[in-house]
Amino acid sequence: MRNIWTVFKKEIYRVFSDRRLILTLFIMPGLAIFLIYSLMGNIIGAQETQVSEYEALIYTENMPAEIKTLMDESMHYRLYDGDALDQATSEQKVLEGELELVLLFDEDFTQKVEAYQTNSLPDIEVFYNQAEQRSLRAYNLFNGVLNHYHETTVIERLSEPSDYQVFDLQTQNIMDERAFAAQGFAMLLPMLIVIFLFAGAMSIGPDAIAGEKERGTIATLLVTPVQRRDIALGKVLSLSVLALLSALSSFIGVVLSLPNLMQMDDTMPDVSIYGMSDYLIILVLLMVMVLFIVAIIAAVSAYAKTIKEASMLIMPFYFLAMIVGVMNSFGGDVSHDVITHLIPIYGPVNLLSGMLRFEYQTVNFMVTVLSSLGYTVLLIALLNVMFKSERMMFQK
Amino acid sequence: MLSVEDIKKTFTLSKKQMKIERTNDKKKVAVDHLSFEARRGEIYGLLGPNGAGKTTALRCISTLIKPDVGTIKVNGVDTTHHAAKVRENIAFLTSELKLDDHFTPNYLFRYFSALHNVEEQTMLERKKMLFNRFGIDQFQEVKIADLSTGMKQKISIAIALVHDPDFIIFDEPTNGLDILTAKTVIDYLLEMRDAGKGIIISTHILSVVEKLCDRVGIIIDGALKAEGTIDAVCQTHNHDTLEDVFFALMQDAKGDEHA
Repeated sequence: MRNIWTVFKKEIYRVFSDRRLILTLFIMPGLAIFLIYSLMGNIIGAQETQVSEYEALIYTENMPAEIKTLMDESMHYRLYDGDALDQATSEQKVLEGELELVLLFDEDFTQKVEAYQTNSLPDIEVFYNQAEQRSLRAYNLFNGVLNHYHETTVIERLSEPSDYQVFDLQTQNIMDERAFAAQGFAMLLPMLIVIFLFAGAMSIGPDAIAGEKERGTIATLLVTPVQRRDIALGKVLSLSVLALLSALSSFIGVVLSLPNLMQMDDTMPDVSIYGMSDYLIILVLLMVMVLFIVAIIAAVSAYAKTIKEASMLIMPFYFLAMIVGVMNSFGGDVSHDVITHLIPIYGPVNLLSGMLRFEYQTVNFMVTVLSSLGYTVLLIALLNVMFKSERMMFQK
Repeated sequence: MLSVEDIKKTFTLSKKQMKIERTNDKKKVAVDHLSFEARRGEIYGLLGPNGAGKTTALRCISTLIKPDVGTIKVNGVDTTHHAAKVRENIAFLTSELKLDDHFTPNYLFRYFSALHNVEEQTMLERKKMLFNRFGIDQFQEVKIADLSTGMKQKISIAIALVHDPDFIIFDEPTNGLDILTAKTVIDYLLEMRDAGKGIIISTHILSVVEKLCDRVGIIIDGALKAEGTIDAVCQTHNHDTLEDVFFALMQDAKGDEHA
């Protein structure tokens, strides 16, 4: 135990005695994420504001007064006041973003609507550009106007306007804001957490083990009376703490930038919807995940001859973890099947996601924690064997 | 007493290594039935050309690798079965630098003392003595990365000796060192010998052997070809100098290869 503690302290000291490592491991991730996510949030917000407040430029011919009135009520727009355009020119202007919408009505549109002749329906030609956000928004708003005009016209044609009504629709949004916010967190956070944990562990793991091999310092360590198992445990535990702290930095960055990123206002619930016991469960899950991730990285680093080789060999595992995170975010419902909780990384991520949605089962928590710890123990045993292997430790 | 009895060590070569060694054999015998003894209070030199198996032999002695056959005992303790016990009584050093740049000499000395279970008071006394002996005092809080190559080598030696071992195993002790550092190292090894430590060095430099070693073993192709005091070796092989013996043995080995 004393030797594990000695190795543990040395690895921790190594990082905390180096300002550059402190900066790159604990300050930069959180700061970079905060700045990037805040910037993204600001850009998205500004774009949305820009689009919603934007005054669409519309070219129109023969627009009926009723439709214009409806448009005035429901959208920001101004009419093109230049010379009359032929169809090709107007299409070109829409394509180039000079116009948002072209609306061409039949000359006698209103008369035809009033004449109510099914064999001679009035035409409306609409040109818009789906690739341009402003054009698409103007088109959608105009569609709403047109639907409204269509509906009121049909009602007017009926001798008994009430015949048009099929049902009384009363819609009430009875959303639980807490559950709604929880769903958002459950989608985003497990994916980010697994990525941050892996990234944190990746930035220190290869140097702590493959680096010792590359520098040749491993021989000095292995010639001491300390058991290989103690070296393995000391390394894994210290790396886990460092990776956890690094992930925590990223996590703080996310939490601080979340309101900006998700365009949340003051009325929406934040991460305080979770209680102390929830955070305790999250902490346990983070710990078992980080132990497993660090054990993988340590085993790969022990196999590799250099830091560069270790970093390269870890990449497939990192991508796998990312895929698991993305699957959780976009894969729909949380699985409550006990078997799925036995799958490394996927189990804890799935459970974390369920926990954040307040769908949590003790049995699955136990299965996840115990299985993850079991896999970690196996990996540490493997690491112990690798430290004893001449081929692994000394072959160049 | 440190005894090496009939040890053999074979490595499996990778395809890349087979190409470098220009051989079709997947196995390479690095140490071939090697036997010798080193006593406390003497310096034993393993002399041989590059690739003769010196480093492999020393790694087997220092418990970093295990021999395929044969036994090595340090103070009567078997290195294969009681490696941890043996490590309490040996120090292993190589000329290649083995220090982590991020730490100071002071931290590393404390760290390795803790791993060797050296008591705090003993550690402080050893540190004072060794740092003073190698002129490390004024650099003890400077990071290894900022020190000269010679100073790094001296720190490596000081750190390897934290636990005051009975036997010091030193692979190529003066390789790559400047004259002053090499002299410091040689003087210290002689001091250690006089203090009753057993020292085994490997080298391909004849002058080092002549200056340092009480007894020498000439190793070629993993096998011991001659052993004894320098005078005895010269006498047995009918040559005036160790250099002549060495080249004659090398010639014989080449002759055997071509035969």
